[in-house]
Amino acid sequence: MNITVNGSELEIAANSTVEALLKNLDKPLNGSALAVNENIIRRSQWAEYKLCDGDKISLFQAIAGG
Amino acid sequence: MLTESEILRYSPHLLLDDLGESGQEKLKNSHVLIIGMGGLGSPAAMYLAAAGVGTLVIADFDHLEQSNLQRQIGYQTDDIGAPKVQLMKHRLLMINPQIRVRTVNTKMDESQLLLELMMVNLVLDCTDNMASRQMINAACVEARVPLIVGAAIRMEGQLMLFDHSQSDAACYHCLFANSDEQALNCSNSGVLGPVVGTIGTLQALEAIKYIVGLPSGIKNRLKLFDGKTLEWQTFKITKDAQCSVCGQKK
Repeated sequence: MNITVNGSELEIAANSTVEALLKNLDKPLNGSALAVNENIIRRSQWAEYKLCDGDKISLFQAIAGG
Repeated sequence: MLTESEILRYSPHLLLDDLGESGQEKLKNSHVLIIGMGGLGSPAAMYLAAAGVGTLVIADFDHLEQSNLQRQIGYQTDDIGAPKVQLMKHRLLMINPQIRVRTVNTKMDESQLLLELMMVNLVLDCTDNMASRQMINAACVEARVPLIVGAAIRMEGQLMLFDHSQSDAACYHCLFANSDEQALNCSNSGVLGPVVGTIGTLQALEAIKYIVGLPSGIKNRLKLFDGKTLEWQTFKITKDAQCSVCGQKK
């Protein structure tokens, strides 16, 4: 199935979880938050949350500056 | 009741259907705590002082440094070395002598913060580090004080509002769970002045709207600002029933 991550298209296995996607991406996840179709998915759900075809994933870091 | 001088000063507010005299009186009677007097806190405090928020409590334990002046527009070059809250109090009262300004010139621990929260209606988190952000969030959850969070680095900003006086409020910890993870800050990543100023200005706007009772478009939302494209993204934050900070809230 096809999803987008921060606007870039990506093909992943059907029924992939958020956690599986993140393993694939091999990105540093320190202080990160993730949203699927503009809803924040809390970290405790990443292992079980299943992605769907067409999902738009946004991955971003906490910023603390001011 | 507004005085004659206040009616003159705030006449542009009084013309607004959304604000008017009753809104101005709400501003006058409100007490707002702004934590952090840097790039976010400078415009936030100056706009709220100008708008007639009756009591501002400003907190920061830093002294002004030369590298602050590129974005912290409340200060001047001659001010380098002086405590920021002392400088800002003077600045705010120059803008508007009709308000009260109190300063907190120490690094507050949780118990001191909880005491301060007993005396305010609203908190603006304008700090520059993750540990402070998590502590402020936890204290606001406990004290049920609404919190407007701003943050910026590089050319990006983040803005959110959690109305902890309401039981459906999510919290900062629902979004960014772990406080010991490295978060980006202005010292390690750099920042452009108008980007952090935009976020601080919007914290002031949301504060005024909250005080006068206008609905907020960012309650339980995270807004991400891209200073390169000027695009905004909006994400919905659902209260996490398992959140170790706000999940047990009755």
